[in-house]
Order: sequence, then structure tokens, then C-alpha cells
Amino acid sequence: MNAWIRRVLVIALAVALVPVALGARQALDRSKIPPPGKAPELRVPKWTTTTLPNGAVLIVSEKHDLPLVSFSILFSGGADQYEPADKRGLAGITASMLSEGTTTRDGEALSNALQLLGTSVNAGIGSESGAIGFVSMTGKFQPTLDILADMMLHSTFPAPALERIRAQRLVALTSAKAQPGAIARRVFPKILYGTAHPFGQLTTEETYKAITRDEVAAFAKAYFQPGRAAVVVTGDITPAAAKAAVEKALAGWPAGGSKPAFSYPPLPPKEPTTIYLVDKPGAAQSTFAIGLPGPPRSTPDYYAIEVVNTLLGGMFQSRLNANIREEKGLSYGVSSMFGFGKGPGPFRAGGDIISSKTDVALVEFMKELRGIQGSRPITDEELQTSKASLVQSLPGMFGSVTSIGSAIGQLWIQGLPDDYYQQYGAKINAVTRADMVRVAKQYIDLDHLAIVIVGDRATIEAPLKATGIAPIKVLDIEGDKARK
Amino acid sequence: VLKPSRKLAWIALVALASLAAAQRPPSAAPPGSDSIRIPFERYTLPNGLTVILSPDHTTPTVAVNVWYHVGSKNEVPGRTGFAHLFEHIMFTGSGHVPYGLQDKLTEGVGGNNNGTTSNDRTTYFEIVPSNYLESTLWIESDRMGFLLDTLDINKLNAQRDVVKNERRQSVDNQPYGKVGEIFARATYPAANPYSWDVIGSMDDLSAASAEDVKGFFRTYYAPNNAFLAIVGDFDPAQAKAWVAKYFEEIPRGKPVVRPVVSPVTLPAERRLYYEDRVQVPRLYVLWPTVGEKSDDQYALDVLGSILTGPRTARLTKALVYDSQSAASVGAYQDSNEDVGNFMVVITPRPGHSLTELETAAAAIIEKLKTEGPTAEEVQKATAYEELALVRGLESDLGKAMLLSDNAGFHGDPGYYRTAFQKSMSVTAADVKRVADKYLTKGRVVLSVVPIGKPDEASRATESQKVTGAEDTPRPEVKR
Repeated sequence: MNAWIRRVLVIALAVALVPVALGARQALDRSKIPPPGKAPELRVPKWTTTTLPNGAVLIVSEKHDLPLVSFSILFSGGADQYEPADKRGLAGITASMLSEGTTTRDGEALSNALQLLGTSVNAGIGSESGAIGFVSMTGKFQPTLDILADMMLHSTFPAPALERIRAQRLVALTSAKAQPGAIARRVFPKILYGTAHPFGQLTTEETYKAITRDEVAAFAKAYFQPGRAAVVVTGDITPAAAKAAVEKALAGWPAGGSKPAFSYPPLPPKEPTTIYLVDKPGAAQSTFAIGLPGPPRSTPDYYAIEVVNTLLGGMFQSRLNANIREEKGLSYGVSSMFGFGKGPGPFRAGGDIISSKTDVALVEFMKELRGIQGSRPITDEELQTSKASLVQSLPGMFGSVTSIGSAIGQLWIQGLPDDYYQQYGAKINAVTRADMVRVAKQYIDLDHLAIVIVGDRATIEAPLKATGIAPIKVLDIEGDKARK
Repeated sequence: VLKPSRKLAWIALVALASLAAAQRPPSAAPPGSDSIRIPFERYTLPNGLTVILSPDHTTPTVAVNVWYHVGSKNEVPGRTGFAHLFEHIMFTGSGHVPYGLQDKLTEGVGGNNNGTTSNDRTTYFEIVPSNYLESTLWIESDRMGFLLDTLDINKLNAQRDVVKNERRQSVDNQPYGKVGEIFARATYPAANPYSWDVIGSMDDLSAASAEDVKGFFRTYYAPNNAFLAIVGDFDPAQAKAWVAKYFEEIPRGKPVVRPVVSPVTLPAERRLYYEDRVQVPRLYVLWPTVGEKSDDQYALDVLGSILTGPRTARLTKALVYDSQSAASVGAYQDSNEDVGNFMVVITPRPGHSLTELETAAAAIIEKLKTEGPTAEEVQKATAYEELALVRGLESDLGKAMLLSDNAGFHGDPGYYRTAFQKSMSVTAADVKRVADKYLTKGRVVLSVVPIGKPDEASRATESQKVTGAEDTPRPEVKR
């Protein structure tokens, strides 16, 4: 049916319905799926980009329906670029220390001022990027920005505060060792990347204890520099007003810094597919993380990988969840993802499985991973649904001032073009079945998977062995080889 | 409060954050501020279905929320967890909608769907591109009218297993995961329907039958027990026509008999400890307070913010910053429809015992009860609420949830503005009064300690061991 005819029919249907609501009704045929109306046009927010005198990029996107402004300074590069291997955790602690006092206000004074403004300034540094920002009512924007600037440029990093934060992090680290999901999140990258690669290095008691107050101050000074920064302002503000506010608040932010090269060391040699069993005695479920290092975001295969992953484990009715949760009832939910970034982020499939069916679930995971490589053909419906699910979710990314800010900020961080969202649909729709099978084979290498399972060894080891899927290595909760 | 959902991994965190914001009572903006007004239209179909429409064309998406006034408090002993299991059954297809089609017409077109169950209500929602509103209403009306046409025991059994796995993941295999059900049992007498947790027990989940599903559906899933909210990019005249077309023929059900819930007062302190697979012990103190229907909830909310949160809050400052005996501390009021409680949670730093922390926290709370808070403390505790509410308005789903909750619990979708006025008018004297009235000896003190270390419990020798909800002693009933 061509689009014009469809539109006429939709209008006719709409007109025909009104009398039904008002007067005598006809018997309703519920067996017919109501057809969708005309697809709404994609409305991507517009934004302006300028460069500030100190080298930082300023991006402003207006949205005036509510009196809200979202403000973020994004930094290219993160803990995996700037933290020494024996000081893992330094970047995160530095971000927390920004709330501990400046040359003119102590930590309580900062907290009181922000409470009265009804907001908070949040700072965080992740693996490959960092951010400091807030959301405020329009009328509170400038005073909140002034406090952010004070925190970023004039923090004093008092030594006693570092001791308090360090102690809190150590308690959190201890608590995490009781949580199966947290154990898997630590062990999985360590196995995939090894400790010589930043992706495989973990924060530990030792790395936290090695961090000094002077290192925190030096890290902040070196990290929060405009040469690697983008200031992203979205919401109830004009580009001119945003520029004036930023230039006033950040007048004392000297030029300096540059974007990192994101050069990573080589990956460790590939290992044959192995089950890494982390013993958690008495666990009611087994936590699965199956995967291997993947391609960077810049790969030309990005769109094909997104479509194939959506089909495999990106949606509720994806093959993994439809089989393992809905059909077999082995889990509350399983999924898969590619961790795209500048470096070789992982492919990871997993979920929490009832202990007594750990072996059954592993067989099914492997069956589905083989299936998308060609043995189970991709149906027309699967192809269409996977693509539509991705393309038509775009409007949801532009609903709030913070989501608009992060949608635009991602383009800057990943180095993507300004018309990325306009082009997205065509790129996804160009993916073919052959592309999908090719990238599944290439990036989900069944001969070199790490299968991490955190669970009750006494219950699950023998059944896992009996599957014959792969040899088993038993690890402790740190991901190190366990004693027998 | 535990609100189990159909699924966890697929819902956007942004939506969750907006919901949390939207559910806070508003405050601190000038009364009548237009920035917190949600324009809506409300009407009722002849079969009793309440319809709430609120157009907002900011993004080309629409949120649909169907809110049923039924939750775990409508269950009977021996069938705990049933309301939530039933929520899962609602996703297995209905008379004219085969299993899986709903996901195809929501996620499969770039949208989303989910359901959640609380003690008091069960809610089902979709966010879809705006051209899929009609198919969404078709699906929701079909399961409201024709769920039982296709009820399949295999689907029931598969969802029973899924829910048991949800329980394992969120309760049994989760450090500190059993605290909620232990407290429910320790606080409420057996006849009180808040005496079990929403997720229910494994035995009761095993016992649920197809007949139970049919009875529950006929009793509680009638249009006269439901609220339909549509928020987003749609034309109201067209939406009304579709609502009439799909929902009007569903017959009205019998009037719903709601449980009569008496307020709870504990005559004395009860001390319990529970050994769990944890490495760090944790102290929980719970006082029964009030629910959604009592205005004291607003002052109790403020009390929570004065005690913990920012570094200047009283317990946070004393325990986390000054003495540094705690790694973290939280205090908050949790309001259900008929009952509520106030909870304090403390995680110690190494070298500090739960006994020491309980004593220190009690002294700070006593001081607040004696002196009351300052006016500035009250001001700081409410200053964020305008922003939280306005941020909630950015989400169609957040607004749909807010309007439905207000309609269901307070009989007025716009009740949030009244709640806002009440929250605005909380004074330091109100906070002192509710602290005096509710934070009494009538409380439950629960220590969660590592297995084999019962002596780490607070005042261990005065505390009774429990191994889960099953052997937790019920409270004495005060007559």
C-alpha cells in the first residue's frame, strides 16, 4: 500500500469512528490489529556550537516549555586514560573531593548554599570521559553555576576529607564482595583484558590506600582543563545568555589541556573458550557474564552490530530473553550488549539463573549465540522489529533537558557528525541479513569466549562439566585462581 | 518500598528518575505556580472506568497508564505474592491479542512497556510513538475485558518460575534482601494485609492455581476498579473516540470490597537480628507511622530530610562526618495507602559497632524531639521539591503515573497541588510534633549481621534471632 492511500484510509477511519462514540455502536471486530497512523516526523533538537576564548567548546540547545536548565561540562578522557595502574580509584575520589570545600567556602557552606538553591552539583569521572553539572530552575541557574565554578577551580582538597571518603569506599568495596552481580562486574573485565590493560584493572583496597591528598589535587588540576572540555547547556536559556553566564562564571579558567589519544595497549592473547567459575557457596542463583573484547564505537560495523544485538538480547522479546526467561522460566531476565566507546569495550551476554538449571541455561545461551551466526535464519519480522525498535526510539532521547544534553554530548565525546541523528535511520535500515551474520561471526567468536559464572560451586560444577561446552577454571571472588 | 515489576533491564533509568521525582509531594514554589500545573480532562465511562487525558506535544510520543486499585493487600493468607504474579499473567496475551504482540507493538516500534505491583495498586504502562496510540488502547482494553479467554496453564507456570527467579534475584540472593519481609511480619498483626511483602513466599507462589487467576481477575480487574491515563502527543477528540470504541463494552464488575486496615501501634520495642551472606553488618530501625491519607506524612518527609541526606543533615553530619563512625546513614518516611513507616538505616565503618551507632543515633533523635528543628532546616529540606516536581513533568509517563496515583488514592488527579500546599505549610513545630508522636519506643530494631557473627548485632543479648519472615514473631496486638 502506498503512503498516500494509507493516509487517506487513516483519515477515513478516524472520521468513521466519531459517530461510534456518540451513537449506536456496531459490533467491534477485536481480532484486527489497529493499524498505526502516519508516522510522526523525527524532530531532532537544534543547537549552536561556539568556542570559548580558553578553548572549551560551548554547545547550547534551547527548550522553553518548562523553567529548567541543564548544565554540564564534559571532559574527553577518563580514569582509563589518566589513572596510574596502582592508583585506580583516584579519578572517582577526585570528583567526590570537589564537594569538600573551596578557598572561600567549606564543605558545609557549599552544601547549605546548594540546598537553598534546591539543587546539587554532581561530578563523576568514568572510564573514558567525565562530567560536572547540575539541573536547576531557570531563576537559580547563575548562582548554581557560580558554585560549580568555585568547586571546579578553587577546591582545597582537605586531607581529612580524603580519609573519610577513602574509608567509605573501602566499606563499599567490602559490601560489593557479597553481591553476586558486583563480583561478576569485577571478575569479567579482569579476565577479558588482563591487568596490563586499563579495562582489566580494578580498584582494590591497595589502590585506594595508595592515593594521597597531593595526588588528588594534582589530578584535579591536570584533568579539569578547557582544552578537553565541552560545556553543554540545554533548556530554558538562549545561546547568548548561556555564553554570558559561562564567560562570567568561568572567567578564571585558564586555557590548557588537550583531548587524549585513547591509545590502548594490545589485548592479551586469545584464550580458548573457558568457563570461569567463581564460587559463592549457597547462592540461590548463578550470575552469568559471557563475552569477549569488542570493537570500538568508530567501527564501520556499528550499525550492523546494533541491529544484531537488538535481535539477540537488546529487547524483552529478543532471542535470549524469549527463550531463557519467557519460554523456560530460568531467569527474571537475560540480555546482551556491546560496550561501545573509544577502546575495545566488551560484548557481554548474561543474567541471573536459578542455580539448579545453570547447565541448562548455558546450553541455551550457546545455542542462541550460534543461532544468530546463521544456523537459525533471521526472519523478516525479526529484521523489521529490530530496526524499527532502534530507529523509532530516537524521539525518546529528546524528551528532557538532561537527555537532550546527553544526546548532544555523546556526539562530541564520540566525535560523531552533527547530523548523526538525522542519518541514523537510513544507516540502520541499510543493514542486511548478510551484514548481521557476518558481524555476529566476527565479533562473537565462539572459540574464544570467557564464560564467567558466579554461583554455588557444589551445586553447579558437575552439571556444567557434563555439558562439555568448555573446560572449567575455578576462581576466587577477586578473579584469581582459587586453591583446590 | 518494594515494587516488583514485570522486568528490570529494559526500562530507561531516565523514566525511573522522573517517576521518583513525580511521586514526591511538591513544595517551595509559590502556591498556584503554573510551572507545576498539569492540564488534564477527566471523565467516567458508564461502566465505571475513569479516564484522564493530558495532551503535551513536546515529543511525538504518548504514554498510557492503566491503574488498577488492587495490590498485595487484597491477597489472602496462603496466596501471598499473587497480585504480582497476576501482573505477570497480564502480559501473556488475551482474547484477541496473541502472546508477544504487545511487545512487538511497543518495544518493536521504539517504545516500551512494563507493569509494577505495590501493596495498594497494580499499574501497567506503555510509551509508544504517537501513531501507535490506538493499538495500545486495543491491547489494554483486551486484557481488561478478555484476559481469561486465553488463560493457559503453561504460561502461568512459566511466569510462576520467572517470579520465583525475581524473588531469588531481589530477595534470597541479595545481601540484606529479606529485611522488607521480616519487617512486614514483625510490625503488623497476622490479620493486617500489610503483614506480608509484595513479592510473597515461594510456597504460596507454588500454590497459585488457574482458578485463583480467574477469581482475582473477575473481582479486581473490572473497569470500575481502574483508571486510564493518556499523556503526550495525541488529539483528545480522537483519543475519546478510541477509548469509547475499545473500553465501553467491557461490563462493569461488582463493587470491590476493600480490606479494613487498622492503624498499628507497637506497645514496646522489639529487637531482632538476622544472619545473612553479608560482609558488613547493618542496623535498621522502623517505626509504624501513617499512610497516604494522613497529613502527618508531609512533616515526616521533612523529618527524614532533616535527619539524613546532605552533609548538614543531623544524623549524616554527626555519624558520617563528625564522629565518622558510619559509612552511610538514611532516614525516610514510606507512605502506603493505609499505613506507613519511618525507617532509619545505618551502615557502620570498621571498628564501630551497631550498638554504638544505635545509641548515638537515638541521642540525636531525642535531641531533635526536645528542641525541634530550626526554620532554616525546614526550608533547606523542602527547597529541592519544586525542581523535583518540575523535572517529573518532563516525562509523559511521570505525569501519567502522578495523575493516576492522585486519582486512585485521593479521588482527584490534581490532588498533587493540594499535597503541595500541605507540604509547603509544614513548620518546625509540625516536625517536632510528628517526631514526638511517632519516633517512640514502639519500634522494631533489626540488625543484619554476617553469618556466624550474632554478637555483632546491636545489643545482641537483648535481641532475638530470626532466619527469615517465617520464624519472625508477629507483634502483640495492643487493645
